[in-house]
Amino acid sequence: MTWHSFFNMSTMEHRHLLMAYAVVLLVQAGYFGWTALNWFRLKRPRL
Amino acid sequence: MEQRTPSLRSVAWLWFGIALAVLIVGFRQAIFLTPTDAAQGDVGRIIYYHVPSAMMGLVFPYVNFVAALAYLYWRRRDPLRALAADALALAAAEVTVVFVSIGLLTGMLWGRAVWGIWWTWDARLTTYLLLWLLYVSYLLLRRFSSTGESHTLSAVLSVFAAVDVPIVYMSIRWWRTQHPAPVFGGDANSGMDKSMLPAFFWNLAGWAIWGIFILIFRFALERRRQIAEQEAALQAIEASLEIPQ
Repeated sequence: MTWHSFFNMSTMEHRHLLMAYAVVLLVQAGYFGWTALNWFRLKRPRL
Repeated sequence: MEQRTPSLRSVAWLWFGIALAVLIVGFRQAIFLTPTDAAQGDVGRIIYYHVPSAMMGLVFPYVNFVAALAYLYWRRRDPLRALAADALALAAAEVTVVFVSIGLLTGMLWGRAVWGIWWTWDARLTTYLLLWLLYVSYLLLRRFSSTGESHTLSAVLSVFAAVDVPIVYMSIRWWRTQHPAPVFGGDANSGMDKSMLPAFFWNLAGWAIWGIFILIFRFALERRRQIAEQEAALQAIEASLEIPQ
């Protein structure tokens, strides 16, 4: 498989393969981003 | 504490870098190096992300379970230690929801392409959906309960939720399901073709390393929030003592 066929949207099989990989990366990156955002928003405690 | 922080930060960055590197290798193996599945075609490559994520979704509930038990044990004996256990339980529940959500979504995308249907109420899919619902309800209970005992209630719920994990695991062994039979640890005909193993194990390792990283990061965030809350409570007490009577 190549980058070209990975982004091939002509068949349902290829669309679903691309969507599955996109879902995994987006959900994980989204959760990591949300955690990182809250980490930097919350000031380091003095205790 | 001040001396530990820089080295912990370095370890965290190193762990993050290793996770990304292993995931990149796994992606390359899964998409470009592994031959196309003769029966399923390219859509079969979904399993290299679906199976490791689904497996992680069955591991992190046990972190939540052990942390919940630790919370219940320490909540009267050692409240500060109980708070740390509670933070770990929360982090593990969130990471579980992330991995199980991915398992469900990627499974549905694969099912529609291979079976022709998005969903079926077979034992594996139903018990896995139940697992997702249990941990979502755990998080909702913590978020919206106003009893003052939400940490204890959620810890008890997580003990019950963990019971579903072995049922999910055994469902494809106990019952005939639409879901494929076990690939590892199944009957004599089970197993994975040798050409598929590198892609599978690189992605399994990558998502396991990533899962541990995100679990510890979320745990550290919750600990920071708890300590900030304690600090604010102390300041409020100090301020109230300074008010002239």
